[in-house]
Amino acid sequence: MTTPPKTPNALLHGALDALILKTLAKGPSHGYAVARSIEEATGDAVLVEEGSLYPALYRLERRGWVEAEWGTSELGRRAKLYRLTDTGRVQLEAEMATWRRFSAGVSKVLFST
Amino acid sequence: MRRSLRSWLWRVPIDQEIDEELALHIEMRTRELVGRGMEPKAARKLAIERLGDMTRLKREMADLGRKRDREMRVTLWLEELRDDVKFAFRQLKNSPAFTLVAVLTLALGIGANSAIFALVDATLRRPLPYGQPDRLVTIWEKGETTPRGYASPPNMLDWNTRSRTFEKIAGFTPNVGQMAMAGADGTPETVSRQWVTAGIFDVLGVKPILGRTFSAEDEAKRANVIVMSESFWRTRYNADPNIVGREIRLDGSLWTLLGIVPKDFELLGQTSMWAMRPFVNMPPRARGAYMLQVVGRMKPGAEIEAAEADLRAVADGLAQEFPQTNKGRSVVLEPMRDSMIGSDLKLTSMLFLGVVGFVLLVCCANVANLLLARATVRTRELAMRSALGAGRMRIIRQLVTESVVLSLVGGALGVAIGAAILSAAPSLIPQGLLPPTVTLAFDVRVVSFCAGAALLVGLLFGVIPAWKATEFSSAEVIGADSRTTTGGGGTLRGLLVMGEVATAVLLLFGAGLLLRTLLAVESFDRGYRAESVLSMLVDPLGSKYPTPESLQQFFDQVEAEIMAVSGVKAVGWTSSVPLGPDQLDGYSFDIVGDPPLPENQRPNLNYQVASPGYFSALDLPIVAGRAFDSRDTRDAVPVCIINEAFARTYFPGRSPIGRQIAIRLTDAPQDKPKVREIVGVARQVKGRPDEPKDLVQYYAPMAQDLADDIYLVVRPRSGRADAFASAVRAAIGRVDKEQLVSLGHVMTLEDIAWDVTGRHRFRAVLVMAFAALALLLAMVGVFGLLAYSVQQRMRDFCVRRALGATTNDVLRLVVGNAVRVIVTGAVIGLVLSALLGRLIVTMLFGVQPLDLTTFAIVTIVVAITAALSIAGPAWRAAHIDPAVVLRSK
Repeated sequence: MTTPPKTPNALLHGALDALILKTLAKGPSHGYAVARSIEEATGDAVLVEEGSLYPALYRLERRGWVEAEWGTSELGRRAKLYRLTDTGRVQLEAEMATWRRFSAGVSKVLFST
Repeated sequence: MRRSLRSWLWRVPIDQEIDEELALHIEMRTRELVGRGMEPKAARKLAIERLGDMTRLKREMADLGRKRDREMRVTLWLEELRDDVKFAFRQLKNSPAFTLVAVLTLALGIGANSAIFALVDATLRRPLPYGQPDRLVTIWEKGETTPRGYASPPNMLDWNTRSRTFEKIAGFTPNVGQMAMAGADGTPETVSRQWVTAGIFDVLGVKPILGRTFSAEDEAKRANVIVMSESFWRTRYNADPNIVGREIRLDGSLWTLLGIVPKDFELLGQTSMWAMRPFVNMPPRARGAYMLQVVGRMKPGAEIEAAEADLRAVADGLAQEFPQTNKGRSVVLEPMRDSMIGSDLKLTSMLFLGVVGFVLLVCCANVANLLLARATVRTRELAMRSALGAGRMRIIRQLVTESVVLSLVGGALGVAIGAAILSAAPSLIPQGLLPPTVTLAFDVRVVSFCAGAALLVGLLFGVIPAWKATEFSSAEVIGADSRTTTGGGGTLRGLLVMGEVATAVLLLFGAGLLLRTLLAVESFDRGYRAESVLSMLVDPLGSKYPTPESLQQFFDQVEAEIMAVSGVKAVGWTSSVPLGPDQLDGYSFDIVGDPPLPENQRPNLNYQVASPGYFSALDLPIVAGRAFDSRDTRDAVPVCIINEAFARTYFPGRSPIGRQIAIRLTDAPQDKPKVREIVGVARQVKGRPDEPKDLVQYYAPMAQDLADDIYLVVRPRSGRADAFASAVRAAIGRVDKEQLVSLGHVMTLEDIAWDVTGRHRFRAVLVMAFAALALLLAMVGVFGLLAYSVQQRMRDFCVRRALGATTNDVLRLVVGNAVRVIVTGAVIGLVLSALLGRLIVTMLFGVQPLDLTTFAIVTIVVAITAALSIAGPAWRAAHIDPAVVLRSK
């Protein structure tokens, strides 16, 4: 009996931070917008587990990679907007490099004949 | 300001933040799902579901959020601090005169404190450099007349075997003696040696760095064994490890070097080596020879009270067993540390600590004053900040940061000053004031003390001015004409200066008392003339002069040879020099023909051997009878000369000349007394000026009681005595052709007396220096206060002048206030002096704590310096040209 393959985002738990940073690199946005934009960008292939999205945002804020401020949402309500900081931008570069190496390595094994 | 910081400032409570954020999320998701055709209720349900366990999520977010906030507050605080420090430095750079004065004042205060802290730390706090020093106690033998005396060797041995609370008890002779050994170049040299008992190293827990220390077998065999100090081994033997186990010739006999011990052991006495003195098979009379300072190591967990009770019981048993020697004798215990450091040194340390503490307070007051003055100048700047939204606490924080920066800079400089003082200290501190192991080190503890002191001081003098400076209404200040910004805190500044004056007066008074003590000690009449007498210890080797006759012959020849040196007026020999080491104490006597005194009430005598020339060499007058002369030979009738205290005490109203006294070396009955006829009475020699009572003393002629360790005293006709040292050595060399005589302790009697008054001088000079510093600072304070108020009231004065006030009226206004401050301060200081004077009563001699002369002198000194500090500002106020001033602003 085979176990069903894990959902991609469980597998990609470590990648969530990188995806958030990448999303925020386009400009400040609130939590839902971050989730939505990741889903759209990946064609809903990566479902952001929302239970971990917000803690991830808080963690990133604590690390100083993103910072939060109060802004206004599309609904005209007060919304907490996240913005990428300079150190966050540097971190994103680093995450991307790591990811590139990692995926190349994994692909090399999985798709070798 | 960074965005995140702004968001922090306008932050909502964390729970509300989370609720709002999640509510928005659910709302948005619901709309999205509805947009995709879902029924709103189901959409909302799904949106909530997708967030998972809501309670857990919220808890997790709240947790993270709180941590983030905490860290952010720290970051913010640090950033503000950094800004404040930067700003503080800029401010200080902008007013260099203020900064220089303040930093120097603080550096002096902190530097002095750090040096004194090093002294206090070394004397009061540092434990003895031995293993488990808390278990070490000094054991004194107590007699009827001596509350803390040395112990006799047999008693010490019995204490050791019979006590139950001690691991081991051992002893050493308090005086360090000399031995002659062949020097590195073959000529004889003198090395210092201290006698110890076999167990001393075990008691103190000193491990040899090479070889071994004394054992019980060594003592049983009565072996000639020595242990050497590390420093002597390094300098004399170049740290040659092969020397250990070899035999060394000392004083003509061979001694085996067992081992080398580290220098900490020098606490007992500054010496090059320790020689074991075996105490086995001693005669009963040895119980009456009190010669050992005894230390014991208590068993783990034993308390000193219990140990004392234990040893008392042992001593009581010994008193019953040996009533002739031990009746009425007991023991007193004291932590070894206390007996090594000494109460005098402790008191001196406390005195200095108190004094520099006061000096630091004066420094603080002065800097606080400067800050207060500056704060009034800066009122507009501060008001502007306040108007721009800075809260009062925020401004206070910034001002306090400035003062702490100031004090830290001062503290850093103070560390340098303290280090300089300490490196100069060894040459300033009189020898013998500090026990050898008390080393003044500028270590981490001293530096951290400095840092702590600087921080504290910064807060101390910074907070109040900052508080005062922010007591304003910004609208009022900014709106006001700059001319009328008058300084608040005038009263406060007056109070600070008053306190400074009071402190300076207190310190001056203490210094005055100590100075008068020093003068009393120095001008003290010792009974002999010390200015120009050369003394040295002469120790001919026993084997060269085996008989008393040959020894006497040698001394006579040396005396004749030195007398032949041109310029020498008198030459004498003596067993001890006044104030010097090697005093012979503890002899008892009966007056022949008088009823004998009960054994334990026999008076104690100080005994000195002297040659006929001794009295003229020291210019010590014989007040009755005759001095020794050539009649008093070895075979003649035994004679002696007593001193005035002896005559006064034991021959009141009758002539002692011709009477006989029977002198005993110990109280033991089998010790046959020596009968001597009194032929003269010598002038009283005062040893230490602060001696509680006159020494009862007698002299025996050298020919009748010859010792081979003897001091030579030489008085030249004129000139400095130490200039004769080499001529005297050469003269001895001409007699002692084989150079078998060891010479030591070459110094003038004045040097010896100087050493004795050293601690008085040290205290007086140091406290005087600090008091002068405090006075200077206080007067700078007075000057500052006055100059500032003249500056502030310039217009006021001008208006008064213009309205017809005379120069005198203005002067009265200016000076009146300053005089009030000074007089009040001085009176407070004098009252404090009267109250605190008794604290140093034990350091005083020849002067009472409530000395009126000192009161008067201090008052005069303060009056003169105050007049000087007032003069400048007053002159300025008196010479105002109203026209110029009124027009200028």
